[in-house]
Amino acid sequence: MNLPEHAPILAIAVPLLGAFALPLWAKLHRSLRDGWLALVAGATAALTALVAVQVYTTGIQVYTLGASFPADTVAPGGFPIRIILTVDALSAFMGLITALVAVVGFAYAWRYLAEDEGKTLALTLGTLLWAGMLGMAFTGDLFNLFVFFEVTSIAACGLVGYRTWASRGPEAAFKTMVMYTVGGLFVLLAVALLYGEYGALNLAYLARQIGGSLIDRIALALLLGGLLMKAGAVPLHMWAPDAYGEAPAQAVILLVANTQISLYALFRVLFTLYGGVPDPGVGWLVVALGTLTLLVAALMAVVQMDAGRLVAFGAVSQIGYMLLGVGVGLTAVAARPAYGLVAIQGGIFHMLNDAVAIGLLFLAVGAVERASGSRNLGTLGGLGHDLRWTTGFFLLGALALAGIPPLNGFASKLMIYQSSFLLSPILSALAILASILLLAVFVRAFQGAFLGPRLRKAEPVPVPMLVAMGVLALGVLALGLFPELVVRHLVAPAADALWTGRDLYLQAVLGR
Amino acid sequence: MTLLTGHGFWNPLLWLAAAGGVTLLALLVWSRGRRDYTRGTDGELPFLSGEKAEGAHVGGGHLYWGFVEGLRPYVARLRALHSGLVNDYVAWLVVILAVAFLIVLVGG
Repeated sequence: MNLPEHAPILAIAVPLLGAFALPLWAKLHRSLRDGWLALVAGATAALTALVAVQVYTTGIQVYTLGASFPADTVAPGGFPIRIILTVDALSAFMGLITALVAVVGFAYAWRYLAEDEGKTLALTLGTLLWAGMLGMAFTGDLFNLFVFFEVTSIAACGLVGYRTWASRGPEAAFKTMVMYTVGGLFVLLAVALLYGEYGALNLAYLARQIGGSLIDRIALALLLGGLLMKAGAVPLHMWAPDAYGEAPAQAVILLVANTQISLYALFRVLFTLYGGVPDPGVGWLVVALGTLTLLVAALMAVVQMDAGRLVAFGAVSQIGYMLLGVGVGLTAVAARPAYGLVAIQGGIFHMLNDAVAIGLLFLAVGAVERASGSRNLGTLGGLGHDLRWTTGFFLLGALALAGIPPLNGFASKLMIYQSSFLLSPILSALAILASILLLAVFVRAFQGAFLGPRLRKAEPVPVPMLVAMGVLALGVLALGLFPELVVRHLVAPAADALWTGRDLYLQAVLGR
Repeated sequence: MTLLTGHGFWNPLLWLAAAGGVTLLALLVWSRGRRDYTRGTDGELPFLSGEKAEGAHVGGGHLYWGFVEGLRPYVARLRALHSGLVNDYVAWLVVILAVAFLIVLVGG
């Protein structure tokens, strides 16, 4: 078997099948389950990296399921009828983010989750969520985008609500499930409308056919509604703090990656399927929701006393920055292409920075809860005496998320501030204001939980959890100190895939 | 190493060098300060608004109290929107969908 050729489908199939086999191994012995998970996670991460290396070095990779050979995308009638995976630089970039988050999350979960608290269930659902995210990133087919949207929804709701014996997880899972289901129905309706009009589901084929008819525009509105909801844009975000606040820490960082994958799907629809949407109103809608998201979530974070919900609102506010960056790019497509590209690069770069920084914060909060038994900022205090590493990690993540130089959040936010300034200085001012609010929020949380006299004894944090946080902390530092290298080699090709890569995407599948 | 950011640029290594210079300057100023205080006395204790009790902690609910109180009227309105009722969540989804329809159908 030619492994590089089949890597895209294997990257989805390995975690999908691996997830279903996980409980069977657990029935035999938990060490077999852990070994199996390590094998599946390692193999999936390696396959994702292999796909990324191929895409970044040789261009878009297509994989046709059921064809004589993977590159045989078009049937004899000149029509793409099979399921086709289409991986461009942006898809590969998203795949790498999910791999980083999943591997770190599983390493953390090894000692974070207790055996008698549904550990096997959590690991199974986490692996399934990873498979769904990779499917959403790699698929070149609109119906399969919906299928993987549902796979991620089911797994995510399971992760939020599986702890039925404690917390308000089931309630949060129910709310999330209702929202995901309604949003998913909108997406399905849009897929059905486009299929009814063009008789095809392939993204590239549909992109070539779509010409702005009434049905096309109705489908666009439905896709916008469904995908903005799952991305957690204000005012469709309300499920997110509930879900993030109740899910265990290793699951939350997967849920954050899940919202980013939904953003990716939105960008794919707007730029590739609809060709950048010449109507500026759609760009302004994305900009307005982005600005609203970053500001409202930051304000809501100010008054939170539960560290988990506080970080959750911080995570929602970061979605606003990504929406603002790409929204500015969408609005400036024709008028000022140079700034539009910088804005999109900023938005995409912020996805990686957010995954690393907010992931670090959620893991640190999980460590605090495990070590001290509480997340209430009113009762915590002086944890820095006992949890020195966790204290450092929380501070690093908080400063990075607030955009303090030279940490990683600063570079991407600077790109977004400067490019949105051109569209309107008010946008930049509001984005900076939200960052200032977040800085205040995190300084308050840090002082409340970690500084001052020791108020309660904290248990030591297990080494695997510290190692997982350490990896993300190194990411915060590396991305912060060498942003130009990351932008040049990873982010710029991904942004180009959206900005100018539509024709290449279509040619890779349709061949002309 | 220099990242172009639209209007300007960003080079973290230059920033670190500048931060190092500022730190050295601060240390220089600090080293020229008073040396006549005695270690281990009350002069080293933090002043917490006249709080006399030992081990007093400025908790998460107290830091930036004025700042948070100032924002509370605005946040109270936002909090009211976060009702926790899933009906409201879905209603907002319908509102945004209506706005999206308006934009793509009328604007397009």
